[in-house]
Amino acid sequence: MKTLVMVMAGGASEDLSVLTAVRAEPAIPFGGKFRIIDFLLSNCVNSGLYNVALLTQYMPRSLNEHVGVGKPWDLDRSQGGVRLLQPYLGPGQSGWQRGTADAVRHNMDFVSEQRVDNVLVLAGDHIYKMDYRQMMKFHQQMKADMTVAVRRVSPFETHRFGIVSVDSDMRVTGFKEKPRRSKETLASMGIYIFNTDTLREILADDSLNDFGRDILPAIFRSHKVAAYTFEGYWADVGTLQAYWESNMALLAETPALDLYDPDWVIHTRSEEQPPVQIGPEAWVGGNLLSNGCIIEGVVERSVLSPGVRVAAGAEVRDSVIMNDTVIEAGAKVQRVIIDKDVVVGEGVEACYGVDNVPNRLYPSRLNTGLTVIGKDAIIPAGVKIGHNVIINPGATADMFTSDFVPSGEVV
Amino acid sequence: MQTLAILMAGGAGTRLTVLSDKRAKPAVPFAGKYRIIDFTLSNCVNSGIYDVAVLTQYRPHSLNTHIGIGKPWDLDRQRGGVHLRQPYQGGNADLDWYRGTADAVYRNLDFIQEKLPDMVLILSGDHIYKMDYREMLEYHRQKGADLTVAVMNVPLEETDRFGIMTVNRNMRITEFHEKPKERDKGTLASMGIYVFDTRVLLDRLSEGSDETPRIDFGKHVIPDMIAQDKVYAYPFEGYWVDVGTVHSFWDTNLALCGPEGSADLNLHDPNWVIHTRSEERPPVKLGPQAQVTDSLISNGCVIRGRVERSVLSPGVYVSPGAVVTESVIINDTWIGPGAIVNRAIIDENVVVGAGTKLGFGDDLTPNQQMPDKLDSGISVVGAGAQIPGGLTIGRNVLIHSDRIESDFPGTDISSGETI
Repeated sequence: MKTLVMVMAGGASEDLSVLTAVRAEPAIPFGGKFRIIDFLLSNCVNSGLYNVALLTQYMPRSLNEHVGVGKPWDLDRSQGGVRLLQPYLGPGQSGWQRGTADAVRHNMDFVSEQRVDNVLVLAGDHIYKMDYRQMMKFHQQMKADMTVAVRRVSPFETHRFGIVSVDSDMRVTGFKEKPRRSKETLASMGIYIFNTDTLREILADDSLNDFGRDILPAIFRSHKVAAYTFEGYWADVGTLQAYWESNMALLAETPALDLYDPDWVIHTRSEEQPPVQIGPEAWVGGNLLSNGCIIEGVVERSVLSPGVRVAAGAEVRDSVIMNDTVIEAGAKVQRVIIDKDVVVGEGVEACYGVDNVPNRLYPSRLNTGLTVIGKDAIIPAGVKIGHNVIINPGATADMFTSDFVPSGEVV
Repeated sequence: MQTLAILMAGGAGTRLTVLSDKRAKPAVPFAGKYRIIDFTLSNCVNSGIYDVAVLTQYRPHSLNTHIGIGKPWDLDRQRGGVHLRQPYQGGNADLDWYRGTADAVYRNLDFIQEKLPDMVLILSGDHIYKMDYREMLEYHRQKGADLTVAVMNVPLEETDRFGIMTVNRNMRITEFHEKPKERDKGTLASMGIYVFDTRVLLDRLSEGSDETPRIDFGKHVIPDMIAQDKVYAYPFEGYWVDVGTVHSFWDTNLALCGPEGSADLNLHDPNWVIHTRSEERPPVKLGPQAQVTDSLISNGCVIRGRVERSVLSPGVYVSPGAVVTESVIINDTWIGPGAIVNRAIIDENVVVGAGTKLGFGDDLTPNQQMPDKLDSGISVVGAGAQIPGGLTIGRNVLIHSDRIESDFPGTDISSGETI
């Protein structure tokens, strides 16, 4: 059975605020040196799938650079390998993509060229470890036209997922998109296997633009759709809170997501950086520190990407800090997500105070006390920043009108 | 002007004891994730020299795997790139192994003739330094030299450890003394870095006979050339260390610890990146009880105990309650719970059993079998050794590679012993 993997990497995912203001969600750093897409690409190669297409649309530059020719994943191949498919103009199907299914429709000529039996469609913004071979075997055994991977979720969370009903043979008999309350708790994980012919057939209908919204609710009526239950680690990091929690979960003694498993290596494009340097006055307990970090101060319960510098006298706790950010002397940072190349000036206090005013512009997205600082921002010395604050990418010192940014503000 | 760099990477490096048992000295890990040869190879590419031959002879496997096609240094190229040259049989060469550095180059004369560069840069693969070779090549051209030898000032009391060059006012070398006992030869020591005019190199190496052997650059070629050719000294000021002994290897590693910017060797310089073949490893994980100060910790390490003033290569595991101080620990070594390691160099894949004390006590008896190599209090453990738990091991102890629990006496091991 020949299988082509198509990864949906083009969505804008505004829930991640300033992190996705500068890049597509799959390119967001995660777990220090990794990016979200690494987990999925590693799943592919660890499952023996070497024919992968990434469909991009939103802010693809960072993703393009990261994936490159696919060398870190051994996806630089003469047959198959990784391909980045961009939106294009031309006669017939072209223009911007209106959804995941529409994105695949734009590239049906590519799919036909590959002469594959199955197409595995993956959402590019989840973190999980899954051997797709087992799902493909299940798909074959069920003689299904389409198989959707599902997992049990808490009944209180059904409103975040597409919920599938199945009969005793795991054949799908119903589908509800994000129901408020539901007896069923099998949630779709955004992982689908299609027989190539079935895929071609359903995409012929021009009005169906999204797999989750348009195709799943209808396809089980006309085709044989099976549900494959997955029980391993899977996390949707589509909100700031979930992103932060998933990072923090890596710090546990035996985390659910084991990055150190030699049988399931997570591959990534590693930066050329020296080992972590820890200074004489440093205090580091319970962290994940990447190459090139220089730690002179206190770092506790945090995840640091390559090249972060924490000066003597600075304190970092419960935070996620991305590449090459500098935390200067005396700064105190707690429960903050800081993007790349940020300068946190001397004596800055981030997440200052005890109030929890939701963010002024995005009260539904940022209300759990986390503050986020966008890429390249410069926080001038001595500024105090409250909770649920958004500092936009590239913010400069003169954008801070006073030395106190109250909770819920946006700079 | 075309330059071919030739790296001498075939030496056994016996002074490093078990570290070079299973690998050539240039392949010995250094500064955590690097290997000694990375510094020379990075010097080459950072100096714009992309045509590099590496001559191997002693235990080349580790080196071959590390260099591969030269990808990390961008030396995987259509034209030039890195060439690993092994000793071979056949042709005009006699059927013996290389007898010395000049002999090794002589056996590869056909390779040089094929490339026909203008200059040949001869480098030693076992020094740690940062040097822009372009400046030396430029100096060589300006002087119109046949041979230029890089030299550096060393303290007068150490001149007996080096090859000392005596120069005239124009930096032309007039005398050369290998490890002179007298202190009147000046303080300019050869760094083992030579720029040859290709034509002169070809001529001089081909002249070898029983009366005028051309086996070693330091012993034969350079002294003879001083007499008849234009040989100049290029004074170098900068970081350069020969990590050829256990003590200097340990000392140079530990010098990288300390506060930011305190080390003489800056690994963080974005304008002079040290390239290496990085292993695919997750970030360093520090457990809640971990205490780490003054250390260099590589990817994939898991630290749950205490680490002070130490350099750890990728994948080292320090169990809860273990204490590692002033040590160099190489890849994937496991330090058991409650183990105490002080002043040790531990090679890869070693198991240090729970509660074992390695580097214990004040007894500084030199190693009985190698008193000249192991006498500064440092204990060395070879790759793959499995040290049982609960042992107390003294200083200057040598534990050979792949020793298993039954090889140990079951009692404490006092200073100076060898297992």
